Amino acid sequence: MTEGALGKTYRNGELIVRQGEEGNCMYVVQAGTLEVLREEHDGSVRIAVMNTGDIFGEMSIFEREVRSASVRALGEARVLSIDKKTFLRRIQEDPPLAFNLVKIMAHRIRMLSEEVASLKQKTAPPAARVNAQERRAGQDRRHGRDRRAGVDRRTAVVGRLRNA
Amino acid sequence: MQLLASEGINLPTEVVERGIDAYMLHMDVGSVRIRTPSEEKRIAGVFRGNGPRGSERALRVGFDRYLLDLAASSGAQVVRSLVTRVGWHEDRPEIEHGGGKRACYDLVALAAGVNSQLLQNGCDAAPGYSFPGTLTTFISEFHLGQAAIQASLGDAMHIFLLDLPRLEFAALIPKGDYVTLCVLGHDVDEKLVDAFLAAPEVKRCFPDSKVPELVCHCFPRLNVRPPAQPYADRLVWIGDCGVARLYKDGIGSAYRMAKAAARTAAFHGVSAQDFEAHYAPTCKAMNWDNTLARLVFMSTTAIQKLRPLRRGVLRMTATEQANREQFHHMSSVLWDVFTGSAPYQDVLVRSCHPGFIASLAWNLVAGNVAALAGKPYGNGS
Amino acid sequence: MSTLKNKPGANGAAEILVHPAQGNTPAPCMLGCASGGDVRLWMGIVAQRGKLGLSNAQAYARAWGLITETNPFPATLGRICPHPCETACNREGKDGAVAINAMERFLGDWALQFHLPLSRLEDAPPGASIGVVGAGPAGLSFAYQLARRGHRVTVYERREQAGGMLRYGIPAFRLPKAILQSEIDRIVALGVDLRLNVAVGRDVSVEDLRERHDMLFLGIGAGSAARLGVPGEDGPGVIGGIEFLNAVNRGEGYGQLSEVVVIGGGNTAIDAARSARRRGASVSLLYRRTRDEMPAIASEVDAAIAEGVSIEFLVAPTSIRRDAIGPNAVMVQRMALGEPDASGRRRPVPVPGATFAVPARLVIAAVSQNVDWSGLEPLDTGTRAGDAGTLGDGVLSGGDMLGLGIAGMAIAQGRQAAEAVHAKLTGAARPAPPVRRASPARDVAADFYPARPPAQVPEQLVAERIAQPDLEVHETLSETAFLEEAERCFSCGQCHGCQYCFMYCNGGGFVRLDETQPGAYFALSLDRCLGCGKCIELCPTGFLSPVDAPG
Repeated sequence: MTEGALGKTYRNGELIVRQGEEGNCMYVVQAGTLEVLREEHDGSVRIAVMNTGDIFGEMSIFEREVRSASVRALGEARVLSIDKKTFLRRIQEDPPLAFNLVKIMAHRIRMLSEEVASLKQKTAPPAARVNAQERRAGQDRRHGRDRRAGVDRRTAVVGRLRNA
Repeated sequence: MQLLASEGINLPTEVVERGIDAYMLHMDVGSVRIRTPSEEKRIAGVFRGNGPRGSERALRVGFDRYLLDLAASSGAQVVRSLVTRVGWHEDRPEIEHGGGKRACYDLVALAAGVNSQLLQNGCDAAPGYSFPGTLTTFISEFHLGQAAIQASLGDAMHIFLLDLPRLEFAALIPKGDYVTLCVLGHDVDEKLVDAFLAAPEVKRCFPDSKVPELVCHCFPRLNVRPPAQPYADRLVWIGDCGVARLYKDGIGSAYRMAKAAARTAAFHGVSAQDFEAHYAPTCKAMNWDNTLARLVFMSTTAIQKLRPLRRGVLRMTATEQANREQFHHMSSVLWDVFTGSAPYQDVLVRSCHPGFIASLAWNLVAGNVAALAGKPYGNGS
Repeated sequence: MSTLKNKPGANGAAEILVHPAQGNTPAPCMLGCASGGDVRLWMGIVAQRGKLGLSNAQAYARAWGLITETNPFPATLGRICPHPCETACNREGKDGAVAINAMERFLGDWALQFHLPLSRLEDAPPGASIGVVGAGPAGLSFAYQLARRGHRVTVYERREQAGGMLRYGIPAFRLPKAILQSEIDRIVALGVDLRLNVAVGRDVSVEDLRERHDMLFLGIGAGSAARLGVPGEDGPGVIGGIEFLNAVNRGEGYGQLSEVVVIGGGNTAIDAARSARRRGASVSLLYRRTRDEMPAIASEVDAAIAEGVSIEFLVAPTSIRRDAIGPNAVMVQRMALGEPDASGRRRPVPVPGATFAVPARLVIAAVSQNVDWSGLEPLDTGTRAGDAGTLGDGVLSGGDMLGLGIAGMAIAQGRQAAEAVHAKLTGAARPAPPVRRASPARDVAADFYPARPPAQVPEQLVAERIAQPDLEVHETLSETAFLEEAERCFSCGQCHGCQYCFMYCNGGGFVRLDETQPGAYFALSLDRCLGCGKCIELCPTGFLSPVDAPG
C-alpha cells in the first residue's frame, strides 16, 4: 500500500465487520478485494465479493440492527469508514448526499426481486417458467441490458448482496 | 473525503500525496497526538494546481486536475483559457478569455477564488457583488523526501498553537516528498514566518531540528468575510469568492456551496430570485456557523495566550488519548476545530457540555499543579 | 540567520521575497534575422491584433510597415531568404519553428496587392545628393533608406534592369520577376533616380560621380564566377554558375540540355542544377563535402533531389575531359572528411586511387564568385571588410562585394551605410546598433502554448515544375494559415498581454495601460509587490525576471 492512501489497511483474512455486532458506520472499499461471509450454524458461506469503489454496511446508517454478515479482506485491502452521525448530519444539510445511497439500495432491491423471481421460477411448472423468462427478457431489452447466462447471473445477483 | 466517497468520488492513490491519520498539537507546554476517531487515514494531503515549484515532473495527478477530469468525464466542456472579464451581451452573461475571445452563457458560476484580479474590483456583470473580506496567509513548501518525512512527521498533520504576536495558528502537513507549511495570522509577513520557524517547537519537527530550505512560497488570501450577495440574475459565486467556511475545510465548503448552486439552477432556475430562495439559505447557514466559529477561535486564541489554560488542555487531551474507553471530549473538539469535520455550532455545543467543562476544570487544576511540581503532560515528543 | 531562503546562500527574511522586472531581452528570431528586422514585434502586431483593437487589415499594414523599416523587399525575401530566424526560433524544440519566412511573404504579397507605398520619414529634407553604383539588394536598400529621409538619390545600373543578384542570380521558379519588379518600383516611387544601362567607366567616370554627388555607395556585388582551376576548364561547354543563371534569367540560349554536371554546394549551384533540370537535362551535382556541410538552403536541396537532380557528395573535379564537340566528362576524385578548416567545416581530403568519370556535355562551375571592379578601379582600395564597408573619403559599400552572403545581409549593410551617411550629412545621431546580446530569450514556458504543427507551405507538383520552367514552386500561405501561424509565436522575452501576472498578483502590482502594444500591456509598480514571485513563475514569455528587493 502506498503512502498516498486513505482509509485503514487490513491484512489478508482480517475482519472489517463482524456479523452480529452493532454497527455505527458504513464503508467504501478504497483498494483490494473483500469477501462477504454469512455465518450459519454449520459454517460460513461466501455470499459476495467486493472491489474498489463498492460501498457496504450502509443499512446501519438507517436502522439499529446488528450486522447481517461478516466482511473480511481477501489479500491486503484498504477501507474507508463513514460514521453514521457525521453522515446523517450532512444529509440534513445536503439531502442529495443520500442520492447515491438510495441509488445503490434501489439497485439491490431490483437484484433481490430478480433473485426471488428466479427462485420461484425453479419451483414453478415448466410452462410457467418459459413465460417468466420471456417476460424478463422483454424487460431487459427495454432497459438496454444484456441477459447473462442463468448461472452467471445468479452469481452476479448474489455478488450484489452486500448488506453486511 | 468520507462524504465524497459516499457519493462515489474516491480519490485515487496517485492524487493523495499522503493519507493522514492523526493530528499532533504542539504548544510550548508540550505536544499531544490526537488520533483519527477510527484510527484510519481520513485526511488526504493533496497538491493544488501543479504542486510545489520543481515537483511538476514528479507530480502524478494534482487534485485540481483530478476534479477537472472528473467534470470533463461527466460531460463538462473544459476550455483551457484565462478568463479576463465577465460582462453582459444583451441579456446573457458573457465571458472574455484567451486574449479577446468571447462566449455567452445562460448561467455563469464564478469560482475564481480570492487570489485572482477577475472579481477583485467587483464584477462588470453584477455591480451589487462586493469582494469578500480576506486575510493574507503564508504557504510554503519544504522538500524533505518520503523517508525523512516518515521519520520526523509521520502520517500526522502538525498544528502549532504558539504565543507569537499576530499568529493565529500554523500547520505542517506532509505531502509526498514535500511538507507544506500554512501560517494564518494578521498581517502575515516574512518576519512572522521567520519568528515561527525559529520556535523550538517547530524546529523539533524537522530532521536534526534544522528547518530546511524553502522550495517555494506564496502569500495567498483567504476568505474571512462573505460577499454582500453572492448571486444575481444568471450569475452565482461559489467557493472562496462566494461564501466559504472560516479557516477550515475550504474544499469541503466549496463543494457543498457548488452543489447548492447547481441544485438551484437545475431544479428551480437561474434568476436572482431563484438563488435568493434556494441558494441563499445555504449561504446564510454557513455564515451563521462562521459567526459561531469566531467564538470557537476566540477560545483557541485564549489557549494560545494563557499558559495555565494550555496546560489544562494538554493534560485533558493526553489523558483522553491514553484511555481509549474514556469519552474524548477535548480530543473530538480539537479534532473538529482543526479539521473542520463538524459544523462550528456542533463544536460549540459539545464544548458547553457539563462533562467537558467539568473535565477541563479538573485538568486545569491537575495540569497546573503537576507543572508546578515539575511533571508536564503530553504524549508527543 | 533566517531559515527562509529562496536563493542559494541567501540570508535574512526579506530574501525569500522575489520581485519582478519587465525585461527587454531580444528574441532569438530577431538576433537571427539577417536584415535586422524586429520579427517578434511585427509578428506580435498580427498575433495580438485583437488585444490591440486592430482589424486584420490594420494589423497587416502595421506589420508590413515594421518589416519595411529595415527591409523594403518582404515579398522577395519572403521567397528566397534561408531564414536564419527560423533556425533560431525557440518553438523549434516544441513542434517546429514558426514559419516566419512564409508569413513575411504573405505580408509582402498583401502589400503589393493593395499597393501599399513605402513610408517616408518625418525628417526635414536636407537635400544632399547621393550616388549609388549597382541596383542590387544592397544598393537599393541604401537608396531606399536615404530617399525616405529626403535625400536625392541616383542609382547607376549597368544592366538593363534593376535587382542585381535577385533578378539575375535567382531563377523565376523561386522568385517571379514581377514580384521583384513591383518591390523595386515602390522604392523608385520614393523619388530615386534609377539610371539603367549606365556602366561606370564606360558611360560615366568615377570622377564625374564624385563631382555630382556628396556621397557614393558601391553595391556592385560579386558577379564574376570563380574558376575551378582544373585542366580542360577553358573552352566552350564550361560556364560559371552565376553566368549560367544570368543567361537563363535573361532568356538567352540553353533551349534543351542533355548531360549537365554542376560543381558546388551553395545556393547558386542548386539553382543552376534545378534550372538545368527544367531544360531537359540529366543533372549531376558534385560537392566535395557531405550534405551536413552544404551551405545551400536545406529545403531547396530537397526540392532539387525531388526534381531529379542527382547529388554526388565527397567528390572533387580533377579535370574536364573533352572530345571534338566539347566536354564529355568531368574526372572526379573521391574525397573523405578530415580535420576542420578555418570555417569550422571538416576539410575534404582525397581518397588515394579513387577516381572516376561523370559524363557531361555542359559543366557549370558554381564554386565561388568574385567582385568585378572593371570601370571602378580608382575606388578599389583593396579594403573589403568593416562596418558599412567604408572605401575611403565619401565612399561606402555593401553587399556581396564585402564577402558573399545572403540578400538579407546585403540589405542590412545598405541600411547601415545609409544611416551612417544620413547621420554624417545632417549631424543627427546615428541610430544605436541593435543590441546583439549573446543570450537571447530562451526561458520560455513552451508548455503554456498549445501544440500545433507549423503551417505547410503549398507547393507545385514536380511534374508541373519540370513542364513549366518558370512556374513558382511555392505558393503564398492562405490568410487563415497565416493568422494561425502568428498564434504559434511564443513572443519570447516580450509581454503578449496574456494577463496572468495581472490576474494573479495579490498586491495589485500590475496596472493595465490605456495605450497598449506588444511588450507594453501593464505598468509594474514594485511598491505594491508582495514579493511572492508568482508573476515571474506564470509569465510564459520570460518577459518578467527576478530582481533584488527594491531599496
